[in-house]
Amino acid sequence: MTDAVISVGGLVKTFGDRAALRDVSLTVPRGELLGLVGPNGAGKSTLLRTLIGLVQRTRGRVAVMGHDPATQSLAIRHRTCYLPGETGVYHQMTGQQFLDFALGFYPRHQAGLRQRLQEGFQLPLHQKVRSFSAGMKQKLALMATLIPDVDLYLLDEPDRTLDASMRFFLRDLLLAMKRQGKTVVLSSHHLGEVEALADRLVFLLDGTFVVPERLAAARASLRRRPRLRLCAGATLPAGARELLREPDGTLVVATDGDPMQWLRSVPDGVVESAEVGIPRLEDLYAVLLHDPTNGGGA
Amino acid sequence: MIAGKTFHEIRWMALAYLLILELLCVPVLMWWPDLYPELQRSTLLRNLNIGDFARRIGQGITSDDQDLAYSSWVALMLFLRSGNLVGIAAAVLLGTGSFARERENQTFEFLLSRPVSRGRILWDKVWPAALCVVVPLFLVNASAMYWSHVIGERLQPRELFLATTHAASFALAFLLLTTWVSVHLRVQAHVAAIVGAFAVLQVGLYLTQRIRPYTLFRLVDFDWYGPILAGNTRAWQMFDPWNGPGYTTWLLLGCVVFYALAWRSLARTEA
Repeated sequence: MTDAVISVGGLVKTFGDRAALRDVSLTVPRGELLGLVGPNGAGKSTLLRTLIGLVQRTRGRVAVMGHDPATQSLAIRHRTCYLPGETGVYHQMTGQQFLDFALGFYPRHQAGLRQRLQEGFQLPLHQKVRSFSAGMKQKLALMATLIPDVDLYLLDEPDRTLDASMRFFLRDLLLAMKRQGKTVVLSSHHLGEVEALADRLVFLLDGTFVVPERLAAARASLRRRPRLRLCAGATLPAGARELLREPDGTLVVATDGDPMQWLRSVPDGVVESAEVGIPRLEDLYAVLLHDPTNGGGA
Repeated sequence: MIAGKTFHEIRWMALAYLLILELLCVPVLMWWPDLYPELQRSTLLRNLNIGDFARRIGQGITSDDQDLAYSSWVALMLFLRSGNLVGIAAAVLLGTGSFARERENQTFEFLLSRPVSRGRILWDKVWPAALCVVVPLFLVNASAMYWSHVIGERLQPRELFLATTHAASFALAFLLLTTWVSVHLRVQAHVAAIVGAFAVLQVGLYLTQRIRPYTLFRLVDFDWYGPILAGNTRAWQMFDPWNGPGYTTWLLLGCVVFYALAWRSLARTEA
C-alpha cells in the first residue's frame, strides 16, 4: 500500500447529461489537511461522496486507503468519518442519544477530543435535537464525526452555520488532529480560513480542478480590483473602470496600475471607503467564471 | 443499533395499532350472543346475491350450526376486516418511514455513510417493523380466544394460529412492498399515496364481479379464512402452493421478492 490515503485519477461523474466531475485527479498523502474550495455545484460534495462510496463514479480510478469505494466502501467507511453537507441529525432523539447512536458504530473514540468538544460547544445534550438551532445541530454532527478515532475525515462544509468564534475553535481542533497525523479533507466557502488551516488548497470549478497557475493569476487580478464606496454624488475618477456594482452600492473596479497608487491619487471627498487585500471567494468565482482575460473562463 | 432506533421510532405507532386491533376485536365478539339470533332472522343476509363470496359470508354467519356461524363471524370481523384492512394500514404507515423519512429529515446520507453494509441497514429497518406488524395480529387474535370463552364460544388455537399466519403474511407483504417503494422516494406522503392507491385499487377490483379472482384480496378473503377457522385446512396445506389455502406460500414468496427488490434498490441508490 502506498502512503497516499486518497488517490484519484481521471475521475468522471455524470448525472444524466450533466457532468458533476470532469477528469479530476488528486492525491492526498497521509497526514495532510486538504482544503477543497469551490462555488455551489462545483462538484465538491460529489467528490467527497464518491470517495466514501455514496455515489458511484462514471469513469476513472479511485482508491481510498487502498480500497476501491465502488466495491469496498464498507472497508473505507470503517476507517473514515464523513460529515455530510446536509446536517444529518435525528430530531426525535436527545443530543446524547444521537451521540451514542452515531459513535456506537466506531470501536475507538478520542476521549480527549470528546471532552474538548463538549466543553467548547456547550450543547444541552439532554434536550431533544428538534429544539436545537441550526448551529447546535451542526456542532452535534461535528461531534459525531470528529470523536471517532479513524484515519480519514471527510468534512463537507464543517463550518456551515457556525459563528466566527466556533469556526476558530474548529480550526484549532482540526490543526490538533493534523498534528496527530490524521488525514483531513474539508470543503468550505471560507477561503481565508481554509487557507490558514490547510496544507494545500485545491479549487474546484465546474467539476474540474483549477490549475494553480490560473488560480494565482485570478488572485493577482483581484488584488488590482479594489472594492469602493463613493461619496454621495461623486463619480469614479480616471484610471479605473467599474466592473461590478453590488446591491448596497459597493463598486468593484479595475485599476490601470497599482490600486494603492491609484487610491492615493484620488482627490479627497470622492471615495468614502476602500478595500484592497485578500480576495473574497465570491470575487474569485466571478473572475474564474466570467473573466477569461484574467485567466478565468470555465 | 439501527434496529434499536427503528423500534424507538415506531413504538408508539405499533402500540396504537395493537390497541386499535383490540378495540375492534372485543365489541364484535362480545355482541355475538345478541347478534346471532338477529342475523339468523335476517332473510336478506341468507339470500345475499351480490356475488358468490358475499352469499357464502351470509350463509356462514347465519348458519344453524352455531360453531360454524361463530367461526364465520370471526373470519369476517377479525381477519377480513381487522387483519386485512387495519393490518395493511399499519404496514403501510410503518413502512413508509423506513427510508423516505430518512430522506425527508436529511439523515439518509448520514445513515449510508456509517460503517455498516446497506444490507444490514435494510435488515435492521425491516425486522423491527415486521415484528410490530405481525406480533399485534397474533396477540389480538390470541386474546380473541379469551373473549370467546367469556361469551361461551370456543375458538381452536391451531386454526386461529394458521389463519393469523396467513393474515400476517399478507400484512408483511404490504410492509415489504412499502419498504421497497420507500427506498425510491423522498417524501413519506408519496410512498403512502402510491401504496395506498394500489391497495384501494385492489379493493375496488375485488368488489368487481368477474375480475375478482385476479386481485390480491382474493388471497385473503372469507373463502380462505372461513375453511381454515372451520378446521377444514391442515397445517401442511397452508404451505402447499398448488392448493387453495397454500396461497400462504405465495404471500411469503411475495415477501421475499419485495425484500430482494428493496435490497437491490438500496444497494444501487446514490445518496
